[in-house]
Amino acid sequence: MKQKKLRNNLHKVMAVPAFILFFIFFIYPLFQSIGLSLTNWNGFSKATFIGIRNFITFFSDSRALNDIKVTVLFALGSAPLLNIFGLVYALLLDKEFKGKSLVRVIVYLPAVISPLIMGYLWYFILQPQRGVLFTVLSHAGWVISGNWLGKSGPALVVLILVNVWQFVGMTMIIYLAGLQTISPEMYEASDMEGAGYWTTLRYVTLPLLLPSIKINVITNIIGSLSVFEIIIALTDGGPGYATESLSIYILRMVHGSFTGYSTAVALILFFIILIPVFISLKVMKRMEYEA
Amino acid sequence: MKRTVTLLMCFVIFGVSFPLFAGGQKEGKKAPVTVTFFTGKSETVDWMDKLIADFNKKYPGIKVTQEFQKDASSVIKVKFASGDIPDITTVVNQDYIDQGMYMDLSNESWWSRILPSIKDLCTDIKSGKQYKVATNVTTAGIFYNKEVFNKLGLKEALTWKDFVGNLETIKKANPGMVPMFLAGKDSWTLGHLIEFLAHGIIKQEYGIMGSRKAFIYNQQDKLKFAQAGGPMDIFAGRIMELKAKGLINSDSLTATYDDQKTALATGKTALISQGMWAFRDIMKINPDAEIGFSPFPAIADGTKPVVISAEDSAYAITSASKHKKEAVIFLNYLFQPDNQKSYSEFLKMPSAFTDVNADWGPLKDDVKKALSIAVNIPFTETPSGFSGDDAGRMVQQLIAGKYATSLDFAKAYADTWNKAWNAAK
Repeated sequence: MKQKKLRNNLHKVMAVPAFILFFIFFIYPLFQSIGLSLTNWNGFSKATFIGIRNFITFFSDSRALNDIKVTVLFALGSAPLLNIFGLVYALLLDKEFKGKSLVRVIVYLPAVISPLIMGYLWYFILQPQRGVLFTVLSHAGWVISGNWLGKSGPALVVLILVNVWQFVGMTMIIYLAGLQTISPEMYEASDMEGAGYWTTLRYVTLPLLLPSIKINVITNIIGSLSVFEIIIALTDGGPGYATESLSIYILRMVHGSFTGYSTAVALILFFIILIPVFISLKVMKRMEYEA
Repeated sequence: MKRTVTLLMCFVIFGVSFPLFAGGQKEGKKAPVTVTFFTGKSETVDWMDKLIADFNKKYPGIKVTQEFQKDASSVIKVKFASGDIPDITTVVNQDYIDQGMYMDLSNESWWSRILPSIKDLCTDIKSGKQYKVATNVTTAGIFYNKEVFNKLGLKEALTWKDFVGNLETIKKANPGMVPMFLAGKDSWTLGHLIEFLAHGIIKQEYGIMGSRKAFIYNQQDKLKFAQAGGPMDIFAGRIMELKAKGLINSDSLTATYDDQKTALATGKTALISQGMWAFRDIMKINPDAEIGFSPFPAIADGTKPVVISAEDSAYAITSASKHKKEAVIFLNYLFQPDNQKSYSEFLKMPSAFTDVNADWGPLKDDVKKALSIAVNIPFTETPSGFSGDDAGRMVQQLIAGKYATSLDFAKAYADTWNKAWNAAK
């Protein structure tokens, strides 16, 4: 009897190490962050409790508000493009053709390289006046300023495109895995019903691909809203703070003796990420139900 | 039964052997004490690695390890907060001195060998003690292409009017050449312009000690950061003028420090604002480059030209270090005249030690002349939350056209400075 009880509860015992790690590396830091965000700690002096003043300051801090705008614009550009191109690549590379494996590797390869390295690589390509692209275009007779990174608008577009180029392979792989799980009989049935390519895509492929879409949408929203390395390498958040993301702002505030404030900003970013994630989950749950 | 016996035997073997091994370690060679050296000086990493290897060989009881971080002034903050504190560091900041992060070095033997002016710059204004020791004297000013200047008959400019006049002449005579090259991607290079040009007005008005006090205690009545006609307002106006007249590179926001050095070495630009630390690399790129050195022109009417003459290669021992004695031994070794001669010649920078006679480079005479005709000023002691990078980003904004007027820039600068100063209290 006792042994049976033990066996039935063994899974709970097995979960203890995972729970301890989760507590140490997530729950405890989260509560510590909440505590720190309510102080004016500068990283080395004694911290003083200041209530929610850091959160109030955030909403009147023009640099922080600019960084929210940059972060959201980046995510609005990056997350949909990653999903659209990832899906298109997956649909194309799911078909049989010669050299398919090579193309898959080429598309996926940038994703395994560090975003920081990728950023520097693109910097040397796009650098105005002396970058590879400028040199090539100049030799071809094109008169251009090439100042893509020196102005806020074009710089943000470049950042979005480089991010999409780097991580589209990751999105593609997840969609490809999803496509492999769709039974060929489904397509055969659709074919027998006389459905064309687009109808099959709309009523068979996409509904059955919903679990992959869910994973990709969520990870791309999180990844885009917490963007850091690629901006550091390409524009360093500049010119000025024109392309500074909230993640970079948090780090710079820590380095700038505003540790308590930066923790408050980190918590705000946590909620900024949480909101679209929850909305997406809700929408996709309804879509799953309808499908 | 068999399994139990095997298990027991394993315990016995482990129990017997463990003390033996432990004892063996105790009685054998004593493990060396590790002294960690944290630096942000990229140009000296290789030289220091060599010196450390020699030191470790000569002092088998001490093992010095070097850690380099590009953004050292930021990384040290994380190290202090996390307890991963190095024994020796090149990063010294007033906020950390105030927090008692560094060991008092006032009674060390080396001070009698160091230039009094450098000792003054190493002295903490608040306590009168020395928490850092600098081994070199660095200068910063205008590096220019001598060939272009000679060809166009230009003289080193000491006033703003002459400076702009020179740049305009260069632009007119050499349309393909950038008159003055800024390296805005590395924002610290723009931050230096504030320290040298804008703060130069304050530093010459109140002298070295007076201005140090004004910056450290944030005496806004002297700093006048937000005032119309104050140093920041004048400075911003000058930068806007250079941009409007097309006298700086069109990629001044995206060009790097390396691009800047290359541009001067290869004759793509006529002049740059830099410190002596850049000279070694410039000569490495083009050993035949004819480079001159002059002070920064006076940017405000009624002021004098300035040249940075300050402490370089500063070292501090952290108060949290468990190996202070060994850290001092290492610094004593580093400060030996032979090592300092080699360091000065490697860095192409004069030594702060009176007993070191180094042949540090071809700019010796130019620097001597600049120091004699201009007001010698030190670096600015900024709040730790407002580094040269941060100030440089504000200059990036200025060049990008974010501020409608120079006074807007001055007010924004004052606001950011005050915030950082209050946060560090």
